Amino acid sequence: MTKVTDSESPAAGDGLFRSLSPHIRAFDEMTGEDGRIRDHWSHLVKAFTKHGAMEIKARSDNADRILREHGVTYNVYGEAGSIDRPWGVDVAPFLLPASEWERIEAALIQRSRLLNRIMEDLYGGGQRLLRNGFLPPELVYSNPGFLRPCRGIPVPRQVYLHLLACDMVRSASGQWSVLSDRAQAPSGAGYALENRSVLSRVLPDEIRESSVRRLPEFFRRQREMLSALAPEGCQDPNVIVLTPGPRNETYFEHAYLARSLGFTLAEGADLTVRNQRVYLKTVEGLQAVDVILRRLDDAFCDPLELRSDSFLGVAGLVEATRAGTVTLANALGSALVESAAFLPFLEPISRLLLDQELLLPCVPTWWCGRARDLRHVLSQLDSMVVKPAFRTHRSGPWFGGRLSKVELSDLKERIEASPRDFIAQEMVGLSVAPAWIGQAFEPRGVVLRGMVASGGDDSFAVLPGGLTRVAPTACASVVSSQEGGGSKDTWIVRESTQSGSDTSHITPALRTSGRTIPGVPSRAADNLFWLGRYAERLEQQLRMIRCVIGRLSDETGTGTSVAMQSLGLLLNRMESVPFDPARPFDPEICQEAVLKLLHDPGVPGGTRDLLALIRTNASAVRDRFSGDTWRILGRLQWTPDMATGRLPLAEAQTAVQSLVLYLAAFSGMEMENMTRGHGWRFLDLGRRVERAIHMLHMLRSAVELDPHDSLRVLEPLLEMADSILTYRRRYFSDLRLGPVLELLLLDPANPRSVAFQLAQLEDHSRELPGVNITRESGVNLPHLVALRESLASFPRAELARAASVDDQASLLQQLAQLSSEAGGFSDWLATRYFSHSLPRVG
Amino acid sequence: MRRIIYQIEHVTRWGYVGHVSVSHMLMRLAPRNDGRQLLLNHNLELEPGPSALSAHSDYFGNTAHFAAIDRSHSEMVIRSSSRVAVGPAFVPDASETPPWETVRSQCRVDRTGQALEANEFSHSSPLAPVDRQFAELSAQSFLPDRPILDAVMHLTARIAAEFKFDPQATQVSTPVSEVLRLRRGVCQDFAHLQIACLRSLGLPARYISGYIETDPPPGQMKLRGADASHAWVSFYCPGIGWIDVDPTNNCFPSMRHITIGWGRDYADVSPVRGVLVGGSGQDLSVSVDVVAMGSVED
Repeated sequence: MTKVTDSESPAAGDGLFRSLSPHIRAFDEMTGEDGRIRDHWSHLVKAFTKHGAMEIKARSDNADRILREHGVTYNVYGEAGSIDRPWGVDVAPFLLPASEWERIEAALIQRSRLLNRIMEDLYGGGQRLLRNGFLPPELVYSNPGFLRPCRGIPVPRQVYLHLLACDMVRSASGQWSVLSDRAQAPSGAGYALENRSVLSRVLPDEIRESSVRRLPEFFRRQREMLSALAPEGCQDPNVIVLTPGPRNETYFEHAYLARSLGFTLAEGADLTVRNQRVYLKTVEGLQAVDVILRRLDDAFCDPLELRSDSFLGVAGLVEATRAGTVTLANALGSALVESAAFLPFLEPISRLLLDQELLLPCVPTWWCGRARDLRHVLSQLDSMVVKPAFRTHRSGPWFGGRLSKVELSDLKERIEASPRDFIAQEMVGLSVAPAWIGQAFEPRGVVLRGMVASGGDDSFAVLPGGLTRVAPTACASVVSSQEGGGSKDTWIVRESTQSGSDTSHITPALRTSGRTIPGVPSRAADNLFWLGRYAERLEQQLRMIRCVIGRLSDETGTGTSVAMQSLGLLLNRMESVPFDPARPFDPEICQEAVLKLLHDPGVPGGTRDLLALIRTNASAVRDRFSGDTWRILGRLQWTPDMATGRLPLAEAQTAVQSLVLYLAAFSGMEMENMTRGHGWRFLDLGRRVERAIHMLHMLRSAVELDPHDSLRVLEPLLEMADSILTYRRRYFSDLRLGPVLELLLLDPANPRSVAFQLAQLEDHSRELPGVNITRESGVNLPHLVALRESLASFPRAELARAASVDDQASLLQQLAQLSSEAGGFSDWLATRYFSHSLPRVG
Repeated sequence: MRRIIYQIEHVTRWGYVGHVSVSHMLMRLAPRNDGRQLLLNHNLELEPGPSALSAHSDYFGNTAHFAAIDRSHSEMVIRSSSRVAVGPAFVPDASETPPWETVRSQCRVDRTGQALEANEFSHSSPLAPVDRQFAELSAQSFLPDRPILDAVMHLTARIAAEFKFDPQATQVSTPVSEVLRLRRGVCQDFAHLQIACLRSLGLPARYISGYIETDPPPGQMKLRGADASHAWVSFYCPGIGWIDVDPTNNCFPSMRHITIGWGRDYADVSPVRGVLVGGSGQDLSVSVDVVAMGSVED
């Protein structure tokens, strides 16, 4: 392998565009053999040259920043802990002239047609390919991708492969060929759309001047096609996107596509099969589903008939497809035709089924299950790339040329032990295109993923350009997002500039149909509710930390020490900071404890734990937040610059301050930008419930202290409750327990009081699905009634005048009862709206 | 041909810890029609009553029932009643069957009808994989040029003799390589073992799920594997078709074996598979009664 040129030290004279090392024989996408810039690149090269390195670097950094803000990620399996890896897009797009693209487009459509016909023959038809010797039977019969329960299942409009992705490479001779197919739940279209949205901000003039073909049309067509694929007689189909969930590598894309296409994003646990029909479990009840755009691999879709160890699927889904009540796109079982072992057989099959030659050849591939292929592969192992024959085996690839003698003979042994599980391909050199590496453009290998959608009746839509992925080095011969490497926006450049300027490269999809707004899945409601609770809990904790740090920082006389002692006792009662009541107050111990709560990821319920919980819950409902809201949520994380340095208290104060601000921004977005649907309702319910519970907890802890301590903690208490100004304005008096209780517990005008939360909960309850509220009865939900009655029993006027509390025991009992009712209401919501327990196999 | 009429009562009962709110069941309990066997009547009852019950013919042509129960329950009972007329199996003279190597090569090249169908059963399946150790076990029975039936009978007799019937030794999930090591197991294990042996030589073999009548007629030995469902093996012989052998009892299944269905291994034809929501533990009991009701001539 050649060493990657160190980007830190630009060699003088190399200029902005470094040329390909003469040792590497590869097709240069930008420069012709005569050394001249190819026509379709000339405009961009001129523009870049005019900008100069400084400007390009700034734009490249800008692209990174936008992606980070959008929270675009590609999760990598096997990395413990944080699984979100930022997606990278190169500032230089990959360019293809429209005339060349037309040929690729035709080839992609042909391939979609061909693979679909193969599916039809093997799953629906008479398996002519096996009977007539076009495919060896074991390629199907011992293929883990061949799902027997799916044979004979009706497929609307004979569309097995609604979406097909093909990875293509260009050899040194300039010929494109197909490296592999992705047929069951191909990813890439969403990333391509995101790349375009970034580049249209980073290179707005260039994209307009080059008359780049736009992407949204593809998604509009895809939406129409999915509707057209609904079971017969279905008028206004309910289409959902089925995702394995936030832990999946391409979850970002699932949420992004669901949002762009206007479909509900659902996990397996959100769906249920009743009477051979698939339903979405929403907070409003079951809602029938007609079409499922799935991003879940075949075998995981139904634990009853497919892999029984899958917790991601829906029991009975296969039966529902068998009954023809739901369409799956792609059809179950399509992993079969993405087996690399099919590649050597496609040419004759194309002649048989389509009566056509393949427009785009496959990279020369040998299947070791054939004796002569095996001999060929073993004799040239050191110049081959060996891959698993079936996609379900996640291993390899092995590059013969990079293996030691011992490794080669190990590989040989592995192949010989079960030859049919392996294929080998010729090492293909990738064509190279300029990629921005630090301070200049360097040639890097590229693989182009083309995407073609099919809607039946021979209708196809090809994503104009697809997703280009970039190899990490100039001579790499493989590109995989799983192994790192970046991506590029792909521009199909019109050669004649007859088209006018069209700036709107990204148009968010509109839901045009008149059907009712799709329901909020119970799981999403659950996540939103807990997002609300954790966000509120974090806010309370940050206020508490800020309050303590503030007092520790301006520690002066001894009088304050007594106050700190009382505060310590309060925090100890609240179980937020451990503090030994028997020992005198020690500021250092207190500081340590508070900073630990803020910084230590191992403290359960600590700041970092809460941030992680917020992230987990927000991620699971990512499709429900606008880009702006998501950007704010993205900022809600502990960053290394918050770590304790030389001025721990001051730094902690800054960290708390910025987190409090982002929390405020999030709740602002929530109040101002979220549609007042059930999603928003559950988020706010969570916030209100948490605020009530926390307030009651704080008040109980304060009342439990002995009267002197009680009195001394009133100021910090009001500060933590953000009500100190209101108190001073209202009472003009010294701090007294009675008025404080009145303000924080009973005052309906104080947005922090328990009474205020109750009023909000009652308002929300009126809108909750399935709750019947008559004018006479009012809100009569369990727990809320008790809460209201209990609050009403307080002698408000007397309390407001009281300096202290007479009957501490009975007050504590009342507060305890209020707490238990608030908690009870949270549980009631969970049982009533969030029940979506996971299935198990027996 | 004389046929015996059997009445079969197969009851599966689950008790759950806690309440199950939804369960989906996939059942393969209805005996299929086959050359020597005629299904006269089949009835399937579930308690609590299912909200959906439908039947389809599965990939292998077996009858599969799909049922969903979506009300809370802590116990479930599946009663499958079948009435079947069973005739004698045709077993050719061993010397009339081709050498086993011929069967192997024919199944590799012949892509027509039955041979292609048989090809499917010559590859690894999850519970009956191809492996060198199984080929080695069979080698002693599969001598060069030996007629296939002769070789299979020899292997069947060896499994029956060398492996101990021991319901304690294995579970449904015990891999067949472990059975080989333990030299113990139940009918399902022996069937998987023999299938793995045959496939490891490149011969097609399938798994049969069924019942066996066990009341011993006077003077005959009681057959093993009586308590519940039974399982045995079928192998392919070009020109003749599929021939059943029972490695648990070292016999050719005939008048006393009732076939429910077949597949590559147990997983393809497990009598009941369920996915439950709710509940925690479960307690399963199965009872099977096979009663001869008389015989008919046709």
